[in-house]
Amino acid sequence: MSFLALESLTKRFGSHPAVDGLSLAVEQGEFVSLLGPSGCGKTTTLQMIAGFVEPTSGAIRLAGRDLLAVKPARRGLGIVFQSYALFPHMTVGENVSFGLEMQGVASGERARRVAETLELVGLRALAGRFPRQLSGGQQQRVALARALVIQPQILLLDEPLSNLDAKLREEMQIELRQIQRRVGTTTILVTHDQAEAMALSDRLVVMNHGRVEQIAPPHEAYERPATAFVASFLGKTNLLDGASVRPEKIQFAGRGLAGRVRARVFQGNHWLYQVETGSGLVTVIRQNTGEPMPAEGEAVCLAWNSSPPQAKLGEVSAQQTEGS
Amino acid sequence: MSKNGPLALCYHALFVAFMLAPIVVVVCVAFTPEGYLSFPTDHWSLRWFYAIGRYPEFISAFWRSLWLGALSSAIAVGFSVPAALAIARYRFAGRDAMTALFMSPLMIPHVVLGIAFLRFFTEIGLGGTFVGLVLAHIVIVLPFALRLTLASAVGLDRAIEHAAVSLGASEATVLRRITLPLIVPGLMSGWALAFINSFDEVTMTVFIAAPGTETLPVRMFLYIQDNIDPLVTSVSACVIAITVVALVALDRAYGLERLLIGRSVDAR
Repeated sequence: MSFLALESLTKRFGSHPAVDGLSLAVEQGEFVSLLGPSGCGKTTTLQMIAGFVEPTSGAIRLAGRDLLAVKPARRGLGIVFQSYALFPHMTVGENVSFGLEMQGVASGERARRVAETLELVGLRALAGRFPRQLSGGQQQRVALARALVIQPQILLLDEPLSNLDAKLREEMQIELRQIQRRVGTTTILVTHDQAEAMALSDRLVVMNHGRVEQIAPPHEAYERPATAFVASFLGKTNLLDGASVRPEKIQFAGRGLAGRVRARVFQGNHWLYQVETGSGLVTVIRQNTGEPMPAEGEAVCLAWNSSPPQAKLGEVSAQQTEGS
Repeated sequence: MSKNGPLALCYHALFVAFMLAPIVVVVCVAFTPEGYLSFPTDHWSLRWFYAIGRYPEFISAFWRSLWLGALSSAIAVGFSVPAALAIARYRFAGRDAMTALFMSPLMIPHVVLGIAFLRFFTEIGLGGTFVGLVLAHIVIVLPFALRLTLASAVGLDRAIEHAAVSLGASEATVLRRITLPLIVPGLMSGWALAFINSFDEVTMTVFIAAPGTETLPVRMFLYIQDNIDPLVTSVSACVIAITVVALVALDRAYGLERLLIGRSVDAR
């Protein structure tokens, strides 16, 4: 039996279904991401697990026990909010200590665990500061420490990195993954950032309009997207003859699909091409190996390996879409 | 930084003069040695300050005004906390009607309220009592207390309370440890504004105060109806001095801007 089970979870606001029959089984220690565009129901799902939103129907079980019968304050979940939601009138130490205090942990033990957790996120020296005196990244770590110190059964992360700048976000991704590995807490991340979800998770739950599009490990979802939505949402893709072909799988060759380079962009480790062909505009990504590459306006031929067969996609709607 | 032009400077100077002139005149008149309201020309005297000592009812009216303001403002703030939290967070039947009701004392002329309270208090046996004064003042200062409490309740990030709940805090604990401390700046501003309004109120109070429960403004008002001597100006000068001292002390201790605008440095 799985550790956390969502069974046909549904939430309607009026007649609009925000989450529509979502079923998901999460194993202990697993890192699962709910991924999708805004309004896809991922945050509502998280809030139902946390207990801030009551489901219209369906069940949530944690270690076999009915979680919906438990009050939010008794669920024992650690939550990191998008806005961090630190207590502004308490110091870093007091913020982290709060959950232990609520559990009635004795003060000596409390101080030890607070120090230990702050050490884990690398903020031991800042225990006496107030949240407003910290940078965004530091506040984010405090929020993580505050959630982890109570040794939660599940860690819920609601867009935890979206308020950080790109460079810091990448650093935090790696750190978050390391910390999660170390403490081994079952984690559910909600994000609209496909790169973040792929970097961090054991499995992705790609959602759209309140429904699950695909549940798979990141690599599998990327290589074998179950639907056109997944293909276009996870990275860039070309739809050629009804099949999804990733831009980095296409090569410039002596023969193949003929076309003309419309634009090329140098991005350091790779080149990004847009090629005008008989089957429409095709995006091509080539590694930068230092070799000379076709210039803008040049005639080229595109070739790609279609075995193993690319997922055949029935509902081809967009010619080519870019994931956010 | 842009500089003010000569015209703007001139305008600002005139504006400040217009605001301060009455206060300066009142304070100057208080130092007259004459027995009538006159601007002292060659002689200055403390005669009318010593005179206050012969009228203990002014002193007791001052303390009564202070207590009345403090008490009615505190009770109004106490009422406005649950009201503000409910109005800020929930959509329920009668919400708009409730808000309008709490704000209505702002709309009703105080003279009307005064007559109404006079009649009502006499009917229920509270006529001319301090309790009656407190009740009436709660009504007129409630809009000020509620306005600022509401502003801080609306500005509160609900995720902060959710975070506390997720860490195992009960509703009562969240209110005591998280919500109230975070809206305290708003409550203090609300109290201060309410206090100023109560201390100042004369139009309504003059109807419901009796000899023995007169507030300072009422006492002064009644006094100048029968007398033309400058006693009220020396009383005014004392009140102004006390106000200045209180404001400077508050500014040092807490920050006037924080108090009157209700913004906390802690709140995000």
